[in-house]
Amino acid sequence: MKITASSYITPTGAFLNGQLKFTFQSENWLKESYQQLELDYPKFHKMDHLSKMTVLATELIQSEGSLSELKDDELELLFANTNASQHTDMKFIESYTQQGNPSPSLFVYTLPNILTGELAIRNKWYGENTFFIAPQFDSNLFAERLYHASQKGGTWCLCGWVDSKVDEKNQVTEECFLFLVALNGNTADRSSFASALNELLTNYRKGNSGNSNR
Amino acid sequence: MESNVFLSYGTLVTPIGIGIDANFKSLKNGISGIQQKEHAGFKQENWFLSTMENLQGNRFNTLLETALNDLKKSYPEALLSDQKTCFILSSTKGNIDHLAGDVFASARTLIGNITNNPNDVIVISNACISGVIAINTAADYLRYSGFDTVIVIGIDVVSDFVLFGFQSLFALSDEPARPFDKNRKGISLGEACGIIVVSKEKTTASSVEYLSGASSNDANHISGPSRTGEGLFRVVNKTIERAAIPHSEIDFISAHGTGTLYNDEMESIAFMRCELQNVPTNSLKGFFGHTLGAAGVIEVIVCMLSIEHQLLFESKGFEETGTTQEINLVKQTHPASVKTVLKTASGFGGGNAALLIRK
Repeated sequence: MKITASSYITPTGAFLNGQLKFTFQSENWLKESYQQLELDYPKFHKMDHLSKMTVLATELIQSEGSLSELKDDELELLFANTNASQHTDMKFIESYTQQGNPSPSLFVYTLPNILTGELAIRNKWYGENTFFIAPQFDSNLFAERLYHASQKGGTWCLCGWVDSKVDEKNQVTEECFLFLVALNGNTADRSSFASALNELLTNYRKGNSGNSNR
Repeated sequence: MESNVFLSYGTLVTPIGIGIDANFKSLKNGISGIQQKEHAGFKQENWFLSTMENLQGNRFNTLLETALNDLKKSYPEALLSDQKTCFILSSTKGNIDHLAGDVFASARTLIGNITNNPNDVIVISNACISGVIAINTAADYLRYSGFDTVIVIGIDVVSDFVLFGFQSLFALSDEPARPFDKNRKGISLGEACGIIVVSKEKTTASSVEYLSGASSNDANHISGPSRTGEGLFRVVNKTIERAAIPHSEIDFISAHGTGTLYNDEMESIAFMRCELQNVPTNSLKGFFGHTLGAAGVIEVIVCMLSIEHQLLFESKGFEETGTTQEINLVKQTHPASVKTVLKTASGFGGGNAALLIRK
């Protein structure tokens, strides 16, 4: 189990493999990131924030080494967050409590695993996928599930911690951390893998806060 | 060779019964939980739902408490609280009344308080395939993570949120759901809680062996099923390959069968592509409605009842073939030799999952 690439996106900036790729200037940072990455994928604009962040962070990872050489069902998707689809859930509730009608285009994004669906569609990936909910970033959960995947003969896993939370003051907190794992070969034990994973995210979070003066 | 994994039913709480025996009796007698509920929908519309009138207070918590207390009648507290036992919760929306807060927090607390289990509850929220994925995940935790017992809870309740949402998608049927039927019009929403105990040994006479499981994405559309059934086709084949059994050994398929035009059509295509079109198949959505995150768990429990009682349950609501590929739906409940069963699920986000169990 070895992390071969990682990316991290928040409203302040985007990182790839620990390096700052760009900082965002505007409120519309997701669109800014889309333009920075020179994406041409109109479906992007219909997505919720979780899916947008995930698609962007995956593009970042693929910008330095495509995953297209893998078989179309070889890559397992392993994602998690704390707040499920709460950000879109609140918008959907607003559509029927305040705007007169439940919105079908919001409703279809009121499940966290829709983001893995968007990734699968974008990249034509047919592999295994699971979405977990954990009270906070849970490196042990990832380490354990990656170990299971390796024991079952899996080879590659794209993992993500992607969260979007609206608080009572309507402030949105968003974060997307992706890491690509080669499952075979290196047989690092699960607890040291989990520690390394925690350290990686901690560094991203620190680095990110250092660039937040905009 | 991987170590053996067995599934035993814990409990089943649905509108047609509290406990395994009560549900078995209702299923056998053809009693469905789906009824017309006045003014339930958005703009006070009437819809057919499979709901429990008697869930007091916070309905999600009450349902979970009822199920856990029933589980305690048949499983000793020492097992539930053991450090080598862990819980996996499968739910799409959790305690949705707790929005904007953490909708899964109350379940974690309740499970901890009622069972005294010291481990973190693992929560899976992967749309309508959550239940099947949760059982597959439980098998992994048992085989590779040193647990002796993993307890899978599938639960979802009907809420304005979910009802209004499906209403907005025009996915609800204006009569009880009729999966795979020519005149099917959509889904009936339902609520339920099912619990399965996953262990390394056969704990009861009714325990079944878990052979294999897998998941696969359609890579097609987030809310519409694939026209070719690609994801389901792949996941069924993968599951059969992992079990290393011939297709011919499958005696029965418990399909997802929601009752929508496109879903049921997709499933029929996938089963035909897998050359399983002649295997007796049912959907239980005509009994329980679509219970979302609970569906996979409660339907696997019913598969276990089919194996235990050597009885196939009718695919309620089905009368006439309504898919371009004709599959072998169970029209009437009847005795049959049932040894090996395939369970499938498909859901929003393009997810498909399957598992195989054997007597």
